[in-house]
Amino acid sequence: MAETEAPRPRQRPIVRLGIFLISHSFSFSVVCCTAGVLALLLLPILAKNTYISENALMPGSANPMLSNQDVLEANRFVKDLIALNSKPRGSGIESQRLIAQYMKDLGAEVNYHKFHPQITQFHPLQFFSSPDSGTVERNISCSFHGVNTVGITRAPRGDGKEAIVLVTPYNSQKIKQAEALSLGTAYSVFSLLSRVTWLAKDIIWLVSDSQHGEYAAVSAWLRDYHIPMFTRLHTVNAETCPDINYLYDVRDNSVTGRKIYDGFKRAGTMAAALVIKVVDRSETFDDNLNIYAEASNGQMPNLDLINIVNYLAVHRQGFRVKVEKLWSLLDSKWLKNLGELFESVGQVVSSINPQWKFGIPAADYTEGIATLASSLYNQALGVPTGPHGAFRDYQVDAITLELSPRASVDKIIRQNDFLLRGGRLIEGVILSVNNLLEKFHQSFFLYLLTSPGKFVSVGVYMIAFALLVAPLPMVAASLYADAINLNSSQNNEKTVADEPGTALRSLKWVNAAKKVFVVHLWGSVVSLLPYFICQIPNRSPTVSFIIWFLLSVLSFFIMFLILASPFSHAKESQLHLREWAILKSVTMSATFIGLCLMSVINFSTAELGGLLLVPMCLMAQPMRRDIRVGSLSTLSRLAYNLVFCLIGFPPVTFVLLKGAFEGFNSINVGDFWCWVESLWAWSSATYLYIGMVHLPCWVLCIHILFHHC
Amino acid sequence: MLFKIRTLFDSMAVTPLYLYLFLFLGPSNFSNSPFAHGFPSSSSDTTMHTNNWAVLVCTSRFWFNYRHMANTLSLYRTVKRLGIPDERIILMLADDMACNARNKYPAQVFNNENHKLNLYGDNVEVDYRGYEVTVENFLRVLTGRHETAVPRSKRLLSDEGSHILLYMTGHGGDEFLKFQDSEELQSHDLADAVKQMKEKRRFKELLIMVDTCQAATLFSQLQSPGVLAIGSSMKGENSYSHHLDSDVGVSVVDRFTFYTLAFFERLNMYDNASLSSLFNSYNPSTLMSTAYYRTDLYQRRLEEVPVTNFFGSVMETIHTDAAYRAPSRKTSGRADIKTSPDKMVTDDQIKTTTNSNVLDQSSDQKQAKEHMMQDQACPFARLMSSFKNKVQTVEEADSLVNYGLVTMIPLLLLSTLL
Repeated sequence: MAETEAPRPRQRPIVRLGIFLISHSFSFSVVCCTAGVLALLLLPILAKNTYISENALMPGSANPMLSNQDVLEANRFVKDLIALNSKPRGSGIESQRLIAQYMKDLGAEVNYHKFHPQITQFHPLQFFSSPDSGTVERNISCSFHGVNTVGITRAPRGDGKEAIVLVTPYNSQKIKQAEALSLGTAYSVFSLLSRVTWLAKDIIWLVSDSQHGEYAAVSAWLRDYHIPMFTRLHTVNAETCPDINYLYDVRDNSVTGRKIYDGFKRAGTMAAALVIKVVDRSETFDDNLNIYAEASNGQMPNLDLINIVNYLAVHRQGFRVKVEKLWSLLDSKWLKNLGELFESVGQVVSSINPQWKFGIPAADYTEGIATLASSLYNQALGVPTGPHGAFRDYQVDAITLELSPRASVDKIIRQNDFLLRGGRLIEGVILSVNNLLEKFHQSFFLYLLTSPGKFVSVGVYMIAFALLVAPLPMVAASLYADAINLNSSQNNEKTVADEPGTALRSLKWVNAAKKVFVVHLWGSVVSLLPYFICQIPNRSPTVSFIIWFLLSVLSFFIMFLILASPFSHAKESQLHLREWAILKSVTMSATFIGLCLMSVINFSTAELGGLLLVPMCLMAQPMRRDIRVGSLSTLSRLAYNLVFCLIGFPPVTFVLLKGAFEGFNSINVGDFWCWVESLWAWSSATYLYIGMVHLPCWVLCIHILFHHC
Repeated sequence: MLFKIRTLFDSMAVTPLYLYLFLFLGPSNFSNSPFAHGFPSSSSDTTMHTNNWAVLVCTSRFWFNYRHMANTLSLYRTVKRLGIPDERIILMLADDMACNARNKYPAQVFNNENHKLNLYGDNVEVDYRGYEVTVENFLRVLTGRHETAVPRSKRLLSDEGSHILLYMTGHGGDEFLKFQDSEELQSHDLADAVKQMKEKRRFKELLIMVDTCQAATLFSQLQSPGVLAIGSSMKGENSYSHHLDSDVGVSVVDRFTFYTLAFFERLNMYDNASLSSLFNSYNPSTLMSTAYYRTDLYQRRLEEVPVTNFFGSVMETIHTDAAYRAPSRKTSGRADIKTSPDKMVTDDQIKTTTNSNVLDQSSDQKQAKEHMMQDQACPFARLMSSFKNKVQTVEEADSLVNYGLVTMIPLLLLSTLL
């Protein structure tokens, strides 16, 4: 018949492309992985210069108004603060009183905020949700509280709906010179802002009590700011704690006679927050400004905020702006060579066509890579790099400005100059944010910094990740197709088109999937174990780690015996050929899904995890086969597999990285436990990633490696 | 001189005939007559320029667009200084910078960093303010299609003797102008509104002045005769701000407006500087863009049109016996026009002299050019006022006497005819 004779319709191009890629999966995966790593290394060259995206900001358009008079006032404040150190009694309370007094003299609204720092504990059910205020334990001893001092200047003609927050952490027990200077800087700005007419947003100055950690104080204040609590906690405290009683006693005797409100004062929603810190690092060349931006889970503040700070600091106040870098990378030989290579390539390119801008000087390249690595590392860790991280949990853009003066700040002239410039910088930033009409939204939220003035946006860095993980589904498909074809041809030789054969074939796929699922289930059990281990009293990190390890191994065997083994053993007798290939393809698919999901939550974790997992997954092959063949290539592949599987084990990875950056002397088994503990304390998604993607994938690769075929 | 008198005489002699014809046929018939060429513009070509209006629009919100409001207020001040009264200026400001909390000088707006001139003084009447400045309201103002409750002060009550200055500033692009950060006025919309205005005889001449990026593109769809358009920049060009006031912290004026204002600061109400001198004063290097003007729809030569034709004001007052009674038919043909069906309701006001439009049919365009300040030949109804102007302009006593004699003749003829 004509219909049967008609040629088969041509397949659509996308299907043909897919088939082509799957059939050439080996070369495809080699090219893609290389390109992925290369793209990552090229990021500093592809980085763009930052620019102010929001029209309303207009940084530096107005002359700073901060005068020497304000600086002199601030100096007096600093001196008074330091003088408190020599006083014998209760300097904590005294310093808060002093700060409140100074704030009140400026006409600001002042109140104290008492808080108990939250005890970090692993709550599996509240992993991503911030702990609500109801969980604050009531019967904490009085010595374990902190008192923040909050001053609010209302915008004279503003609508009171928005606010800008200045945060100066200081240790109320012992005030250091640098901390006093940071308070002085904020005070000079605050005193200016209490006089100006152009404020459209209220200014909140939070002097946070950092004796229990900088982050805890700020996050406690933010929690109370956003979640009103209707309890009588402070009165209970007032009855039991003599210190706080003292605080409220003395407020009535103040010179101005105005009472300090003992409730919680609020202003509008926060437009931005600046954490100001001064460190006495005695820089040799210039006054330095370090910008810290990473918040929990690799969230970043809007790039515009960093841009205005960078612009004002560099072009107006003459600070040398830095962002964190991995210093150890700066000296590495291979990076320098790579940078020189890229530089020469860039020269060749520009000689061909001067329009093409490619390549940067080798020194810039190494700096860019070091900054990028630090940016990636901090984001991947998911732990905020400073108190600004607390603001990000409430969707407020915040950064920490760490100012470090050139020489020692003992000399009074140097100190005045430093205060003036620091104050003018912060004034300029506040003026810009004050001009803002909405939240920061114009510029990027997803970016990596390669220098204070250069960034890589999400559209560029995703390419590197996409190239890296693209081979996973391709190789998985090709492995599966090969295994099926092999089986069917085998079956055809034995019995022609038997029904049970196809049924079993599909069952085998289900079987492999079940195995992978069980391992992933085990991964989540492992992630939950620390909750129980935490209940054990009096444990050292090392003991905890060993308990965790043993429990994990135990649970692994239990689960495997109960859930996985009966099926696998039953089927192995019949269809064992290339069973590992099917298992490998399912593992790869699961890893691919896990990595892609993680890249949405925290790109940096996914990128670093991909660098470890993808080569391991792609190369995993049963060891016995390699040994049986015994050629040079198979043996080298075997060695490669073993090395990667060793590196891929999370504790080993941790130890190697820590050793590379800090030296191997100080390494302790318990360190890994401490690290993991910090991860869940900050509810970092990296913890979940390690437990539920990385570890199962590693176990499955080991399983494939030791597979009997 | 002789020639002038003769043409004047001719025209005067013919005028009563037309008047008679007009009274007989009525205005609606007249517009269809061969004299009117079937298009309303022909009537306003020869209409007397009797009054001036200005529509000044600032279309952008937000503090960082301070300069747009300062632009508009500066121009408001200028046209007021040159004689357009407040009731004939429609001022539309999309935001209130003076009372913005970010303003370091509350309730003051400056267009220069020297802060010598507060543009937001006591006598500023803003007609449309804040969110009232929309494309819809703007088009309603132009076309006069208001809801009944809109007060007279917010309406553009122009007529076919009006010269209108339409000034717009804000953020624009290729064939559009942004209003309020939420909507756009397209060049089609503007052209359509102008066309409607023309058909409704809401203007004699219209000068559109636009200070935005790519301002020239906004004029591309205009078709109505009598429209003159000038924009700050060509297609693909930006309009830049002139300078930043580092005290207030924003740019306070745009370049195009700054140099326009600089031009007008040298002028007073009685100056004869022509439009071409204004247009030639724009220097592309200082403007950082190319000022573009479109003259193909405009009949008169720019060298002969004083800027005060648009930026200043002509005020014609007609004496009537009673304030609120329609003048009797005997005094002039005014009453007929008032009751004519195709006239707009808004036109029946006493202050404007709407009768002149038809009576002037015969008067020659050439003749109008000869009388530089006196735009056209004088109709008999406004003889006295024109005489006053003549006395001011004409030096020789002889010619004055001649004029007087000549003008007596048509009066005589008219009275005999009636």
